[in-house]
Amino acid sequence: MRPRHDIRNEVRRHRVLAGGLTQEELAERVGATRQTILAIEKGSYNPSVGLALRLAAALGTTVEQLFQLEEGGADDR
Amino acid sequence: MTGSLAWLNPAKKPVPWISGILVLLGFLLPVREGHPSWWAILLTGLGTFGPGLLRELGWLKDKDEFQLQAARRAGYHAFLAAGLVAFLWIAFVRSGDRQLKNPQELATFFAALLWFTWMLSSLATYWGARKMAFRVLTLYGAAWLLFNILSHWKQPLALFMQCLLTAPFFGGAWLSRRWPRSTGILLLGASGFFLIFIGRLHHQRGFPLVVTALTLLLFVGPLVASGLALLPRSRAGEEAPEA
Repeated sequence: MRPRHDIRNEVRRHRVLAGGLTQEELAERVGATRQTILAIEKGSYNPSVGLALRLAAALGTTVEQLFQLEEGGADDR
Repeated sequence: MTGSLAWLNPAKKPVPWISGILVLLGFLLPVREGHPSWWAILLTGLGTFGPGLLRELGWLKDKDEFQLQAARRAGYHAFLAAGLVAFLWIAFVRSGDRQLKNPQELATFFAALLWFTWMLSSLATYWGARKMAFRVLTLYGAAWLLFNILSHWKQPLALFMQCLLTAPFFGGAWLSRRWPRSTGILLLGASGFFLIFIGRLHHQRGFPLVVTALTLLLFVGPLVASGLALLPRSRAGEEAPEA
């Protein structure tokens, strides 16, 4: 479950940009819990594709804007 | 109720309340002839494992993906810990052709080990490993200190000596904030020391094996769990503030 630090996310920044949503408000919009949003923002949990898509829709952005591969990540084999 | 206090609202989170009540009933229902009723114990088991079984069957959908993964990870850790201890136990019993005197105590010990490992793994997932280590060490130190005060408050010297045993917990908690990885190594070393110390005490005093095992679980267990939690390299954002 622990990510290999190869994905960077901008969920917190986009949440603030989207009118200063709280973690709980965002969680309610995407059908998750506040704990999940907190874990995603801290980088300790990478969401499923479905949850990532719902987050992007709720924040009015795209999945690629929310999550990016860090350099030297999974493709560096 | 909103935010982090939502779990206190039975209307919003009925499952923890129902399972908690079942567990409490199992402990509080009348004891007959010096033994708890078998159906009271079953109630406790139902409260503890029922919701998880219903979730796995897909009949209960009260947790999101993060919480479900945390529960499965905790279950895997409990499997590893109990499996390893079980094999060590079997090897020990079979090596000397020993007989188990109290199999029901052995079952209780394994139930405690499963629950203990599951709980600590869940806390590490929700709080972060380092915060879990700090809080567990502090809580255990405080619990042991209180236990010692209540047991030995009339014997100052014994109280002082017993309170020294809480030093690894409080000291580990304080050090973990400043030098996490070094403290993790130190805690594992301290665990090894207490394992040998309690093992020797078991041999000298002739305590039942299960009593020694439970003492190890309750005393050495938190040191091992915290030590292991502090070893991995810290991740950026692990201590990010909550909004």
